[in-house]
Amino acid sequence: MIQENVWISTNSLDFAQSMTLLLRFQIQSYIQRTMYSHGTSGEQSNYYSRSRGLRVLLVDDDEINRMVTKKMLEKLGCEVTAVSTGFECLSAFSHAENSFRVVVLDLHMPEIYGFEVATRIRKFRSCNWPLIIALTASTEDNVQKRCVQIGMNAVLQKPVLLQAMAAELQRILHRAKPL
Amino acid sequence: MDLFQLQRRLVDYRASLYHEDFLDEQFSQLQDLQDENNPDFVVEVVTLFFEDSERLLNELAKALEQPIIDFKRVDAHVHQFKGSSSSIGAQRVQKACIAFRNYCEEQNVEGCLKCLQQLRHEYSLVKTKLESMFQLEQQILSAGGSIPM
Repeated sequence: MIQENVWISTNSLDFAQSMTLLLRFQIQSYIQRTMYSHGTSGEQSNYYSRSRGLRVLLVDDDEINRMVTKKMLEKLGCEVTAVSTGFECLSAFSHAENSFRVVVLDLHMPEIYGFEVATRIRKFRSCNWPLIIALTASTEDNVQKRCVQIGMNAVLQKPVLLQAMAAELQRILHRAKPL
Repeated sequence: MDLFQLQRRLVDYRASLYHEDFLDEQFSQLQDLQDENNPDFVVEVVTLFFEDSERLLNELAKALEQPIIDFKRVDAHVHQFKGSSSSIGAQRVQKACIAFRNYCEEQNVEGCLKCLQQLRHEYSLVKTKLESMFQLEQQILSAGGSIPM
């Protein structure tokens, strides 16, 4: 995996510079893997090509929902790490070698409310990534608005359908600014 | 019953579950997610749902027996039940949860108790039906056949 070879000692370079280099390599390798897989899997390739190999962090406290959403994302070719609490999510980010491109976040978790988690992710990583997709059972307008305010990239209604997830992933990856 | 009859029976049975709203499209989504990498995905998720549901029903009964009822707690359990039933497509169970939550909001004990009964009833119905369906599928597989879509 290309990520492991790229970590540059922070003694020799400015931290921001080394992070940028790390990201460039990761995105290049991700794009390469995407292009490679585009050629190999016929029927699905156009639709799912952007999500193939994508590293996703899934945060949902409900075991059943977690299992179903994880399988759905894997079906779309993603490499999924699933955690059940907001705390686990934030600690996953503190490990620099974890390079999640997308976070799929259930908004209604008990001990640390989903909005709080998203806000902290955005504070922790102030650039345009990771992309955040919120999952909510709520149909209220203000939930959508609040998600946008916090800097989330998409909101999906639960229960989530495969096509809806695929479409949102495509959309936000397409719009994501390159680094 | 020969293989063809078994397969026919399964197709009809499944159709009736959808027709009678026991299951909705979310359940067929689960079936779509099943593949060679995870050939027992549906059974695994549904089994987990059964375990989780039984735990929640016990918690609900306990919470409603308390001298002073913590409606927030009751609502949290029902909310969870609503979420998991909706994830697997158990539509009637999900609907029963929605009604239940309304009574929680009103802090209506009698209403909650009635809803709990209703919820138990719907859950046990869908459980029985899903188990029958899985049994049919097993019979087909044991007879060397494949599960029709």
